This record gives sequence, structure tokens and C-alpha cells, in this order.
Amino acid sequence: MKILLVDDSGTMRAIQKRCLFKLGVAEDDVVEADNGQTGLAEFEKGGFDIVLTDWNMPVMDGLTMLKEIRSRNADIPIIMITTESERARVVAAIEAGVSDYLVKPYTADALNAKLEKWVPTSV
Amino acid sequence: MDVSFINHFIESATNVFDTMLGVQITRKSLSLKDSPAPTHEVSAIIGLSGRVTGSVVVSFSTNVALKGAGEMLLTEFDDVNAEVVDAVGELTNMIAGGAKAAMDNMQLSLGLPNVVCGKDHKIFFPGNVKPVSVGFDTPWGEMAIDVGFNEVLEGNLEAVAAQETVGV
Repeated sequence: MKILLVDDSGTMRAIQKRCLFKLGVAEDDVVEADNGQTGLAEFEKGGFDIVLTDWNMPVMDGLTMLKEIRSRNADIPIIMITTESERARVVAAIEAGVSDYLVKPYTADALNAKLEKWVPTSV
Repeated sequence: MDVSFINHFIESATNVFDTMLGVQITRKSLSLKDSPAPTHEVSAIIGLSGRVTGSVVVSFSTNVALKGAGEMLLTEFDDVNAEVVDAVGELTNMIAGGAKAAMDNMQLSLGLPNVVCGKDHKIFFPGNVKPVSVGFDTPWGEMAIDVGFNEVLEGNLEAVAAQETVGV
């Protein structure tokens, strides 16, 4: 399983990678990007099974990247992991085609449960 | 200015430290800040816009910054480096984000965090803003949150939405 992980914070990418590795994802199967534009460029190289993305990032934000990815791929799971928790923002993400949503801050258990839902344990 | 908004930042900071770091923090002081000098050595700043314009500054003592980053990254840090700065910025992002969600009526937008380090650095709020300052005790030392903003006049809201320069 190949995963695209997009967040401008290296700290948050490290936390999410730690969880993915515990689920059995190989280090080489996680591709990182620190903004939506770089994330989209990586996505366009192809081969991804899931996208994890932050919302507020420089250059291109996660919602814009999500819309761009959806215009290219209607089916790939896209999980938004963000501080944005207001109803209007969540609705905007749903309307843009997000598959799932996790609000920061999150416990390790909450992150694990969310990723377990989308990453098969038999990776 | 109604200063009850500060409670949202206190609640959010408490939640972030508990959820992400597994530690309890305790509010120990509350005041209006007269000096541009932040309380501690590592400051993360996030701009606020929307129905208000201003800033939130989370000021970490060095040990809190090192320990907080260490807890998130499962690493022991001896000095404030790029990784510690990133972790501190992200903690501040989450604190501001949680408070923003509780202040829906203010239609707040948050900037990306900037982090300033150094013992004698100064952070100036807009000229007529006197920020509210909250001090906390943590298991690793002290931290503080300074929040100050001007409320945007109704007639200027459309201009703010269009991201024009507005004199308040």
C-alpha cells in the first residue's frame, strides 16, 4: 500500500508515520509532501492507495489539493487531519470529496483507529 | 473589549497538552500585558483575522519546548533546533485552532505559525492593543499565552474578506 502524507509540519508527519509503521506500512511506501502543490505533484506520479492531508498549508492548502485530486481520481480515499473543526469547514471538506476527517489534537488511539479503518492490517 | 475570549485559549491549551502530550497544565496568572517582551524564550506567533485583527503568542520556557517536542517526536532534545521549533509551532497551531472553533461568531482565520527564539526578543502587538496574558505551570516548567486583537468595524468587514489593507 502506497500512502501520500501531506502536512507542512514535520512533527505531525512523524507522528502519523509512526502510526502507519505500527500498522505494518513500510517506510518506502510513505511519500511525504509539505504543501498541497508538492503533494499534488507527487500524486500525479501515480500509484497511491490513500492520501492523508492537513488543511492549512503554505503555497496550496489541503482543501484545494483535495479538489484537484478528486478532479483526477474520484475513488482514492482522502483523509483530512486538521485543526479545522467548525461545521462549515467539515461540510466544505465533505462537499469537496473528503473520505474521512480527524481533528487535531488527537490521541494516539484516535489516530490509530482512524488509520486502521483505511489501512488494511495485512499490508 | 470583552476578554472572556481568553477562556477559549485556556481550555484549548489545556486540551492540547493533555491530548497530545499527556500532561496537565494549570493556569496560574491572568493579566493585561504592558511590555512587548514575551514571558519566555521560545515564542510561537499566529496572526488572527476576520471580525478581529490581532495575534496569539504562545511563549514556552526552553524546557517546556524541549520536553513538549520530545514527547511528540519520542526524542530527547538538548537544544532548540528546527525540529523543536516545528513542534512548538504545531502545538500553537492546535491551541489557536481549538480556540477558534469555540469563537465561531468571530469568523476567525488563522495565519501559519512563526516561531521566534531568544532570551530578550520582543513581540509588538498593534499600537492600541493591550494583550491578555495567561501564565501556566506545566510539569516541565512555565509557559504563557498572550492574545490581543482589535475588533474590525462592521463597515470594513467586506474589505477584510477581500484581504485589502484596512485601517481600523
